[in-house]
Formats: sequence, structure tokens, C-alpha cells
Amino acid sequence: MAQPLQKLQNLQELVSKGWVWQGQQAPLHKQASDFIDSGWPELNEALGGGWLRGSVNELQIERPFSGELALLLPVLRQQRQPVVWLNPPAELYAPGLQHQQLTGTQLLIRESDTLRAVWALEQCLQAGGQVGLIIAWLPDLSAPLVRRLQQCAERHQQLVFIMAGAMAGTMARAQPQIEARAYVNRLQVWRDGDFQIRILKRRYGWPLPPFPCAIDQYLPTRRRSQAKVLA
Amino acid sequence: MTSKITPPATNGWLYLHASQLLIDYQSALQSAEQQQQPQALAQNAGPGKRYLVQANQAALDAGVSVGMAEVTATTLVPALQLRDYQSWREQQILQQLAQVIYQDVAQIALYPPQGLLFEVRSLLRLYGGYEGLQQRLQQRLQDWPVRLALASGYSPLSARLLAEAGQAGLCSDPQRVSAALQQLPITASKLPAAQIKRLQEVGLDSVGALLSRPAAELGARFGKAVTLYLAELRGDYLPPQHYFRPPARFYQRLDLLSEVSNWPQLLFPLKRLLQQLEVFLQIRQLSLRGLTLQAYHRDRPPTKVRVNFAHAVWQQQDLLNLCQLQLENYKLTHPALELSVQAGALEPRTATAGTLIHGDPDSDDHATTAARPLGELVSRLQARLGAAAVQVPMPVTDWRPERAHQCQPWREQQASAGTASLPRPLWLLPEPQATESKHWQLQWGPERISSGWWDDQAVQRDYFIALDEHQRQGWIYQSEYGWFLHGWFT
Repeated sequence: MAQPLQKLQNLQELVSKGWVWQGQQAPLHKQASDFIDSGWPELNEALGGGWLRGSVNELQIERPFSGELALLLPVLRQQRQPVVWLNPPAELYAPGLQHQQLTGTQLLIRESDTLRAVWALEQCLQAGGQVGLIIAWLPDLSAPLVRRLQQCAERHQQLVFIMAGAMAGTMARAQPQIEARAYVNRLQVWRDGDFQIRILKRRYGWPLPPFPCAIDQYLPTRRRSQAKVLA
Repeated sequence: MTSKITPPATNGWLYLHASQLLIDYQSALQSAEQQQQPQALAQNAGPGKRYLVQANQAALDAGVSVGMAEVTATTLVPALQLRDYQSWREQQILQQLAQVIYQDVAQIALYPPQGLLFEVRSLLRLYGGYEGLQQRLQQRLQDWPVRLALASGYSPLSARLLAEAGQAGLCSDPQRVSAALQQLPITASKLPAAQIKRLQEVGLDSVGALLSRPAAELGARFGKAVTLYLAELRGDYLPPQHYFRPPARFYQRLDLLSEVSNWPQLLFPLKRLLQQLEVFLQIRQLSLRGLTLQAYHRDRPPTKVRVNFAHAVWQQQDLLNLCQLQLENYKLTHPALELSVQAGALEPRTATAGTLIHGDPDSDDHATTAARPLGELVSRLQARLGAAAVQVPMPVTDWRPERAHQCQPWREQQASAGTASLPRPLWLLPEPQATESKHWQLQWGPERISSGWWDDQAVQRDYFIALDEHQRQGWIYQSEYGWFLHGWFT
């Protein structure tokens, strides 16, 4: 009898340390207005209604440029306020932005030092809602920094995406071993025929197995493959 | 003999004389403790002869007087701190003083190094006579702890003579001016020394004595200069005045009075300078986007720090914060003796009144009201990370892909160019990467781009959208040099 009690205490200890998360089936106290439509019905459903306002989300990308921007295009198009891009992996191409109907202000920040980059992010978050969305390429954020950012984003109700590389060995499509971080959602994305999303962590539920997402509708049409299908 | 003195009906002139301007100004910048130290300014009067020209109150209390030889003064008060009197510095301060008073008085003439002449006839009605004017000036000068004498007169010269003689007093009655003037000794008349001597020789030893003689007789005996002088004194002849025009840019240089070896110690004097800058900007309703700080060293070229702001700034607090962020990146390599702040390229403040009711992100004017705080954010980021760290991609009209786009520093009110909707990738690689066509599955194309013959950077390329081995959509081109990857769509 003593042993299960001991285990329960251990579990509570783990919960209090943040190493074990409690999954809830449905967001109880959140309303539809607390979520930003991600533009993808299946993803909205998985995330409890969309991207949560005041959240830091992680996108683990197997290979850069494999569709992560197309995934965010619906949110980007909703933005009426400037979008901050921190340390993007290449130059944001103005004619391409126009082609994708992203006509708002895009603010590019480059800072190689992680601490200073996080400082810049915090400044953007605290700018009194003058920034609409923040997308940051920070491959290697420590747990305290993530928690700091998450707290700041929640206080100022801002949406942040952290683009990270896949952790070593985790992209083997097997169940990944990942270190705990205070992100609200953690997604892995890659391309395997279709664009695939695996939810490693979400606020309202258990991790989900990979599912496809039809991001190709925002990309130049794949003429040949269509032709093949028609043939 | 009884040539009547018929002065004009009112006193239209005011003269301000600050005989201790430089030292008063310097001690106003000091701490209370330093102000208790006896201090004086000395000037050379020939080889081996130095005498005091200005002294602070502590020095005067200790028994030092202006005009005393330096040797006498230091013997009398061994603790006396002596500095060189610098006339150009005093003139700068006089300019500053004129700028402050310019808010109330439009016609100011500088009488360097210590005097200011105001034409006030037109102002008396505005301020309700001399009392109102005096109150106004007192209010304006309350931040200027400078010993000064103000005197009114019916001519520029009469006001000046009274002020310099210490016969301060403002009144509208010319008779009283005339009475005060008559009491002045001839030595205070500002006439050349030789003239004064000649006048004294005939027993004319006060200005009153001079004024009571017929001008024509005096002229016949002592020359035309005296006639002119009397006409000027009476106000019959008004010499043209060069009225002060406030400068269009701000420059202030501050003597630190001791060596300072790091930036944090400079913050206090910097605060003072920025306070003056705010006043300067406030008077003119201007704002600025950058300023230059200079720290001057002994025997070394000054250290220059340029601070730029992405948005228009005018408040001292903002200026100071942004300067502070910037200065964190700098190290002062040598001790500084003086600090200056310089600001040009001032621009009028644009009224970007925020909406009174917040929380309506869909309103059409939201973009404009958002511009100012965003500018503040960008200024903060640029101050810490460097100006080049914050940029905005802007389209440029050119057919060559790498020239159709440019990353520019952020500015308010970005002009957005037209919207050509050709299929273009979101990402552009900084340099095209050489690749091989066998890795790519062509999906769309070719789009031939052949342009730029006019500037020797011609390109002739066939662009394709293609899939790589990992099914990523790339933008590749073939040119005479082979295949290159230029961008990514995803």
C-alpha cells in the first residue's frame, strides 16, 4: 500500500518540476477568441482551436525551407501589424512577399548572440502590441530562456514561433526523446510526399502521431505531378 | 546753457548685463559642495600680470574682489580655485541666454561677452507694462542662477550705461532714467579713454554735466564723435542693431572641470546637456533623429559617438535612454575633459496623435497610429544591436532578381512599391549556389530574364521552379555558367 503512495508522490514531484505534463481533453476556460486561426482545420482541431494568443510555439524543422513558411502563411496574411523576423536563414525576398500577398511591414532583426537576441525578442513583445507576430530562428534555446519568453509572451498576449532544427536523432520518425521546454506547442514538420506535422507537445491533449497538411495550395502548382495524375 | 533734456516719451529699451556670467554658469553645473569652494577666473593683462575678472560668491565672501591681482588673491585666500577666463565660452553662454529669452522677446541684440539688449517698446502692451515684463523675465530666468542687472532706458546706450554701472531698475518713466543717468560719473560713459580725460580736464566729470551742455558747443570743442555719442545717448540717433537669430542647430560643449574616465560618470553632465537640448527642441517644436556626442581628451583627437534614432525624439528621457543603450557598446579609452552634444538635421514634429480609444485593431488609421511606438521599438533595438541589425525588405523595380529587392534600414512611412505578381520565392539566397540539374525535378518554367545591359551587370538566365530530392520547392536558374539555386518558395 505504501508503494503506490510513494509513486504518487514521485509523480507529483515530477509534475511540480514540469517534467510531466497534464493533458486535458478540451480547453475548459479558453474561448474561441483566445485562439488565432491557423488556417488549417486539422491543425486547429489538434491545438484546441488554433494558435493560442500569448504563446511561444516551437517548430522543429528537419530541413530548412521544407514548407514551414507555407504552414504559417495563413497567420502571416492575417497580420495587419509588423511581423518580426529574427535571424532568418536567408534573405526575405520582397517580390516573393508581394507574390504571397504579404504587404505589411516585415521587420528583420539579425543578432548572433543568443542572449541579445532574446533581449530583442522581449523588447518586441513589450512594445505595447505594436508587433503582430514574431518568428525567430533560434536553434538552441535553453529551458530558462524559453520560460522567460513564454512568460513575457503570455503577459503581452503575443504569438511567437521559434524555428529550431530537429534535435539529433529525433527525426527518425520514431517516438522522439526530447528535453522538456516551456513551449505551449511543439511541432515537428517535415516532408515525406506530403507535408507532415507531428505534435510533440500541446497544451490540451496528448502528443499526436504525424498527419499531413495541405500546404501546397499556397505554393506554386506542381504542374508535372498534376499532369501525371491526369494522364 | 539750459539746453533742456527732452527724452522720448517712453523707455523702449532694456539692457541685461551679467558681469559674472561665465563663473555663475559654471558653478550652476556644480554640486552644492563644489559651489562652496571659492573660485575665480583670471585673465592675462600683459607679461607676468594676471588679474581676476570673475569670482563666485564664496570667493567674494572670502575677501577676494574682481580686478584684484592673481598673486594678491591667492595670498589672501590660499584655497582659491583659479581657472582661465575664456571669452568664447562666455559668448556661447550668452547665446544660450539669448535663446532662452527669445521665447519672450523677439528683438534681442547681443553685446558680447556679457550683455543683451532688448527692444521692448512693442512688448510693453503685450505684457502689461514693465511689471508684467519683469515678472515674465524672472520666470523665464529662474533656472538661470546668474547674477545680472537689468536696466531700462529711452535709448540703447542709456539702458546699457545704467545696467553696466549697476543702476538696475525697470521703469517706464524717462525722467527717472534721465535722473539716474546724470548721476553716472564720466568714467562710466563708455567714451574712449582719451575723450574722458579731455572732458575731465574741463571739469565735466559726470554724464549729467555732459548732457546739460549744448550739443553743438560740445561738438565744436570735442569733435563729431561726442555729438554722435550724445545723439545716441538721447535716442535721437539709433545705430542699427544686429538682432539675434536663433541658430538652426544645437551645439553645446561642457567643461567637466575634472577628468572623467568612464561613460557612466559622463551620464550626469550628459543629462544636463540633453535637458538643454530638450529646451532647444521644445522652443522650436522640432525633433531629431540623431545626435553626435564628443568626449574631448587631453592631447588627443576627441572620441566621437554618433547616436541615431529610428523615430523622431525630443524628450530628454528618451534621448538619455537611447544614448545610454548605445554607450553600453563603447569604451572610453582615455579620460575626458569636456563633453559636447551636437544635433543638426532637425525636423518639425509631426502630430501623430494616437487614437483616444484603443483596442480597435481593425480601424483603417491603425497603421499610422502604430508608426510612432514601432519607431521607438526600432530605436531601442538599433541602439543596442547596431543600426544595421534592424532592416526591412523593400521591392525595387529592376528585372534582375537580386536587384529587385533591397534590405533597408527601417523608416517611418515606408513607401511600398507596386505589386508585380510574378511567381517569386519568399527566400532569396544571399549568393546563388552552384548546383546540378540532375538533383532537380523541373516543375515550372522557363522564365527568361535577360536584363541589365546598361550597367555592365547583365544577366541572362532561365529560371525554373523545381523540386529537390527532399521535395522542397526551389528557384533555380540556368545561365552560361551552369545551374544555380537562387531561392526557396517554402
